[in-house]
Amino acid sequence: MLKDITLGQYFPGNTPIHRLDPRTKILLVVIYIVALFVASGWICYGIVFFALCCAVIISKIRLKSLFKGLRPLIVIIIITAVLNIFYTPGETVLLKFWIITVTLEGLETAFFMVARIVLLVLGSLMLTYTTSPIMLTDGLEGLLKPLKLIHVPVHELSMMMSIALRFIPTLIEETQKIMNAQKSRGAQFDTGGIIAKAKAMLPILVPLFISSFRRADELATAMEARCYHGGEGRTKLKVLKMKAGDFIAIGLGIVLLGSVITLKSLGI
Amino acid sequence: MTEFAIKTEDLTYYYPPDEGKAPKNALEGVTVSVESGKYTVILGHNGSGKSTLARHMNALLLPKGGKVYAFGMDTADEELTLDIRRRVGMVFQNPDNQIVSNVVEEDVAFAPENLGIPTDEIRARVDEALKTVGMYDFREHAPHLLSGGQKQRVAIAGVLAMRPKCVVFDESTAMLDPRGRRDVMDIIKRLRSEGVTVILITHHMEEAVEADNVIVMDDGRIALQGKPRQLFKRTDEIRALGLTLPDTVKLIYKLNGRGFSLNAEAITVSECAEELIKSLSGSHITAPEPEKTRAASDPILSVKELTHVYSKGTPFELTALKDINVDIYPNEVAAIIGHTGSGKSTLIQHLNGLIKPSQGRVILEGKDINSSKENLKAARSKVGLVFQYPEYQLFEETVYKDIAFGPKNQGLSDKEIDERVKMAAGFVGIGEELFEASPFELSGGQKRRIAIAGVIAMRPEILVLDEPMAGLDPAGREEIMENLLAYHRKTGASLVIVTHSMDDAAKYADRMIVLSRGEVALEGSPSEVFSKDELLESIGLSVPTASLIARRLREGGVEIEGTVYTVDALADAIAAGKGGGAGA
Repeated sequence: MLKDITLGQYFPGNTPIHRLDPRTKILLVVIYIVALFVASGWICYGIVFFALCCAVIISKIRLKSLFKGLRPLIVIIIITAVLNIFYTPGETVLLKFWIITVTLEGLETAFFMVARIVLLVLGSLMLTYTTSPIMLTDGLEGLLKPLKLIHVPVHELSMMMSIALRFIPTLIEETQKIMNAQKSRGAQFDTGGIIAKAKAMLPILVPLFISSFRRADELATAMEARCYHGGEGRTKLKVLKMKAGDFIAIGLGIVLLGSVITLKSLGI
Repeated sequence: MTEFAIKTEDLTYYYPPDEGKAPKNALEGVTVSVESGKYTVILGHNGSGKSTLARHMNALLLPKGGKVYAFGMDTADEELTLDIRRRVGMVFQNPDNQIVSNVVEEDVAFAPENLGIPTDEIRARVDEALKTVGMYDFREHAPHLLSGGQKQRVAIAGVLAMRPKCVVFDESTAMLDPRGRRDVMDIIKRLRSEGVTVILITHHMEEAVEADNVIVMDDGRIALQGKPRQLFKRTDEIRALGLTLPDTVKLIYKLNGRGFSLNAEAITVSECAEELIKSLSGSHITAPEPEKTRAASDPILSVKELTHVYSKGTPFELTALKDINVDIYPNEVAAIIGHTGSGKSTLIQHLNGLIKPSQGRVILEGKDINSSKENLKAARSKVGLVFQYPEYQLFEETVYKDIAFGPKNQGLSDKEIDERVKMAAGFVGIGEELFEASPFELSGGQKRRIAIAGVIAMRPEILVLDEPMAGLDPAGREEIMENLLAYHRKTGASLVIVTHSMDDAAKYADRMIVLSRGEVALEGSPSEVFSKDELLESIGLSVPTASLIARRLREGGVEIEGTVYTVDALADAIAAGKGGGAGA
């Protein structure tokens, strides 16, 4: 059951979208999200939707995996839809019984709200689906570099993130192993009330914490032995480099945002 | 003039003591020198100060007294730290805890990146290092999907990418299976041929045989030092230091004690065999009849037509066990053998119902353990399962409470629990004075024994242990094994020991089950299994040293009847065949 956890799932590929610099992709997602929040009206949403479709088609990400990513949000989407349908005041009443009134305006607002959430999630998923976690970390580090001037420890943060990514599978495996060991000693994890259940977690959590500290200690020693001394003077095996494709992509992103803003200010 | 890779002068070190306690020296007056380009092996029991010494070689620890020089550079000089560390690389014990990145090649690049080497050259170094350790094809893989041996090779590549002049291996073979260990030893050979200084810290005596120089440590001091051929002649001193001798040395020592006069400097398998052939050629040797025969009885536990598939229906689908049948009999010691990925761990987790079979059944005393909740609960009590490195599962505040966890879950009364705890602690040699101590303050060997006691306290009728001796020094290994055998003899419980050490299986098991690729490749008494030594080697398992020597003897014209697989039996057979050693 623990094995089903996927974090920042990545589908390797070699499409133009996969090949984009991670910084470009992060920027594009930011632009996309801004455009989505600015957007109002059918045409604006249509443009944003069209942009997403293009990205999905080029990246060859299967629709099935995209919708799988939406699954955890179904409850939120339904609640948003219901609330908006019933609680938006409007004039064109479509349906009325007892205390419930459904208006055309309500339906419309609900539709746009749901569209916004779905598009937002799908757009963000496209980033993690087409970018390996390590590239994402590199991209973030690259983008946040200017913050170093105000003493934000950018290198350290990205190092922590990549070590976390590296150790998540190891710790999941270890948790499973400890659980099995305690089960072999007759431990029960699924009986009793909340307090009993919480107490039953101790035999797993204590060893897990102790082992994490041990691992951290050993890893730190190993890193030092390999000459780690902070971010200063570090070079990279893979240097991020913006190519023509990246500039084109960012250009297209700006066009998207520009047209959404223009349409909105024109009131269309 | 000889150049020294490492030189220590009167080195003393102590770890920061607990509050209110006087510091205890971990190293005391250590003066050693390691010549550049040589292969040095450091031996010593756990806690003898080997790792502490190693960590001084690349300035991970700084001396509290005396001096350490690496290639002439004083390690206490902070300006030189990076220069020292790039020249003296270090590979540690646990491969998992050395890998920083979740892509192999990025991890190998870590050290050159830290050194500020230009991108083009990092690429060249990463490729070169990965090719040296034979992991180039895996450069884009995620490390957590690799086997232990492969991970350790990646860790070595990560060190080689610094192009060090000296590499220190701090028990780097301890957690690996025979295949992984062989791979690391091959890399060491390769490094030596390229003129790299190699320092290996190990418990495996066989790895010391090839060294240029052996250093034995005891209690923070250098106890013995010398070339292996000379050193291994000092058998009594080595034993007194809690170490065991290589099997070749043991054999010659035993025979010389029975009137032979063999050259004690013949320490490799081929030298030893040649030496024996010289004095034995033409003689006829009969192996002793195997004395261990099982009285026919019904199995207590049977695995029937068991198949297990992981992640069924996904791209990661993996068949770990294919239609296997295994029986465990009452009152026996069975060994399950196989290398990483053979399905051993999957099999033993079926024995107490932790994993459900995809197909097939597990029958305990006539009942399918997965058929009802009661049967499953009974299986958890009757089949005790001790995982690898069980000391990492300790969690209670006191030793007593930790051992009591199992019996408590069984729902026993306080009085019964108390009896069980005392009984279990007695079997593993943990005295009552330790009952109120925190398990986390104790030594590694003690923790392991407490963890095993925690399972013994449930009074299992079958005690299954996954690599119970992994990572311990020879004295610790023997002690644990004696504890387990005592439980087996006194209570009549069956022991099932999962191991990849053929020597251990040869020594202790009544019956062996050899797994390969999820199937039972061989099953039978040790003499039956070891008579098929070529099949064993073809599935990537090693053969006990005694069998190897026996095979060389046969090739050299000595007739040997039957199968010999322990040093004692081989020595007896040779001595008997020679008429008590009258000739020679």
